[in-house]
Amino acid sequence: MSIMVSIPAGVLANQQTASTVASNLSNVISQTSASINQTATQIDCSLAPSFSGFGFGSGSGGSGSGPSFVFGGGSASGRSGFTPGQFGGGTVTGQFGGGAFNGGQSSPMNESLYTDINSTISGVAVVEPILQASEGQNVTTTLSFNGYTRDITRLDVEYTIEGIPLTASLVDNYPILPTNITAGSNLQAGDSGVVLLSENNSAYFGAGVGDAITILNQTFTVAGIYSPSSVSDTQTLYMNLSDAQAITNNTGYITSLTVFAQNSDVVSQVATSISSVHPELTVTTDQDRLNQLQTLQSTYNTELANAQASDSQTYSTAVEEIIVVVAATSLIVLFVMLYTVRERTKEIGTLKAIGFSNLTVMGQFMLEGILLSMIAGVVGIVIGSIAAPTLSALLLPSVGIGSRSATGAVIVSGTTRISGLSVATLSPELILLAFGAAILLGTLGSLYPAWRAAKIRPAEAMKYE
Amino acid sequence: MSKPVLQIEKLSKSYSLGKRNVPALSNLSLTVNAGEFVAIMGPSGSGKTTLLNVIGCLDKPTSGQVLLDGIDVSKLPENQLYKIRRDKMGFVFQTFNLLPYLNARENVELPMEGRIKSKSERKKRASELLAMVGLSGREGHRPQRLSAGEQQRVAIARALANNPAIVLADEPTGNLDSQNKQEIIKLLANLNITQGTTIIMVTHDGQAAHHTERMLLLKDGKIINEKQGTHLMKKNHTCPHCGSSIQMSDDTCPTCKKPIYSSDEPFSA
Ligand SMILES: Nc1ncnc2c1ncn2[C@@H]1O[C@H](COP(=O)(O)OP(=O)(O)O)[C@@H](O)[C@H]1O
Ligand SMILES: [Mg+2]
Repeated sequence: MSIMVSIPAGVLANQQTASTVASNLSNVISQTSASINQTATQIDCSLAPSFSGFGFGSGSGGSGSGPSFVFGGGSASGRSGFTPGQFGGGTVTGQFGGGAFNGGQSSPMNESLYTDINSTISGVAVVEPILQASEGQNVTTTLSFNGYTRDITRLDVEYTIEGIPLTASLVDNYPILPTNITAGSNLQAGDSGVVLLSENNSAYFGAGVGDAITILNQTFTVAGIYSPSSVSDTQTLYMNLSDAQAITNNTGYITSLTVFAQNSDVVSQVATSISSVHPELTVTTDQDRLNQLQTLQSTYNTELANAQASDSQTYSTAVEEIIVVVAATSLIVLFVMLYTVRERTKEIGTLKAIGFSNLTVMGQFMLEGILLSMIAGVVGIVIGSIAAPTLSALLLPSVGIGSRSATGAVIVSGTTRISGLSVATLSPELILLAFGAAILLGTLGSLYPAWRAAKIRPAEAMKYE
Repeated sequence: MSKPVLQIEKLSKSYSLGKRNVPALSNLSLTVNAGEFVAIMGPSGSGKTTLLNVIGCLDKPTSGQVLLDGIDVSKLPENQLYKIRRDKMGFVFQTFNLLPYLNARENVELPMEGRIKSKSERKKRASELLAMVGLSGREGHRPQRLSAGEQQRVAIARALANNPAIVLADEPTGNLDSQNKQEIIKLLANLNITQGTTIIMVTHDGQAAHHTERMLLLKDGKIINEKQGTHLMKKNHTCPHCGSSIQMSDDTCPTCKKPIYSSDEPFSA
């Protein structure tokens, strides 16, 4: 019976996971919409294809293990609010399920080839060359779902370096650095040998303001720590472009350019000019980004709809399960209590002979039945909280759909880890619900046996076997 | 001198076994006065238990009248009968019928639950009753830790809990060895004298029957014979053999040296 009680607990736990997924996705969607309005005059240029969206990605390239260093591409995370290129495309051989990004890896580009943008293209206010690189471990995992198995090798990013030119004209006038400094100070124009860490970086390096940290054999001093404003730059640390180029052995090379137009009216004209002068570049404007983010948003909306569908599917499965379990548990209580009443006929007869009313006897046995199911409930909750994930995965394949979305949610909420398939936990509400169900079951199952007890003739007390 | 506490008029009781009608009591009349100690004897199947059940409101008569303390209980519905059982009756069973998961004191408290609101008052009275049956200090013991004789003492204390008008005992010594038989019968006799408790006891044991003051012989659902028990004499402090004065505690007459209780079967054929 305890096991039985634990089943709906497991189902409900998964249902809750699914609804958490839904709410996480909603958050990301609103964040995305907000970031659409933030960018104004920004144009991103890189050699990489831009963000390619959800689904099964295919890529080629390295596999294996050991530290790996990958150039990330895409737009600068601090400003756009979203960096598709978190996972180095070169190491990704396949992505499973919704939510992992087959992000564009940027090829390093020769910085000197693009100095003309500033001088020859009209309408340009300033150019910000960027070098972005990530360090992490190549991790190969095997995921299975509905009978399919797939090996995924991906870069488990530990931190991402973003090198930007710390010139006064850029630092003082353009939003190229994070603004929410929680400790120490922001990078200043002319800084070198110092870094600005995210809170996650700070934890990863175990370093605070003023501490020295070593990145690729070079020592840096932590100038400050920022709190990420968007979900995507939780692992990005900032340093001077020349420092970044030096430590990654890429002097003279960058991974992308951000061009700021003089005003929003000339943005598309500037973008067209850049494209015509440098056809090899992928040029992304505010408008493009808007479209991109809208695509992203609609992808999220689809994903959200899926999550909600699986949510409600899981929910209806849970409801069905609960009905079955309520019935089954009531039956078990019924039979146990009927047996008890039969075994204790003489005792019940005695109680009635010494003056207990039918009602009192009935109440006594109701209470016993409820107590019985409450004990079962407690045991069920304990077993349920230990075994719910396993149980639900084993017993309820539909839960897997919710869990797949859960995986997506884990990624979109900014963690770089693709978590395991199912993370079912029991919340206090669920425990209360299970307990309430147990009491209900007890009451239902005890009703008839208690009535039978009340009907026992008091003369049974006199029987001698 | 005493007023009747039980008046049975033309009582008949039959059970239906399928289509068959099994008569258990037929046209039986009996009056018992307050303070009497009555033994009911008779062969197996003669209707002794049935009679106790009807008197104790555990079963309904088929016809006839049963007046308890002047109340005609033969027509009362179950939702009133339980109060009669609780307030006017005390039951002592052959198999003791204590609740195994309750200790001695809690068992004695049971019948008081519907009557005495205060838990401490119930506890106090239960302890007093246990002391009265010689079990002080054993309040916390569960039935399994008590001997058969001690369990029956607890059952007697429980029967006395609500100061019943009648104590009904169905073969109370039937499951006891001879030593315990003696002690239980003396306890009942003593309660009858000191507390004035009216006791109707079914017994197969002639020796036990001699300890009462009235012995009834039941056969085929009818009372066919009645004899005086020795207890009446003892109540009057007179030796049944020589008529000289005796004490309650005496087993043999201090004057004529004869055993006070006969060991003869009272209704030998
Ligand atoms: N519940 C019952 N159903 C049918 N017959 C019964 C029932 N109880 C007693 N009887 C019958 O009534 C008669 C008297 O039984 P009982 O009062 O138990 O006798 P005693 O106690 O003197 O041995 C017996 O013939 C017995 O079989
Ligand atoms: Mg009998």
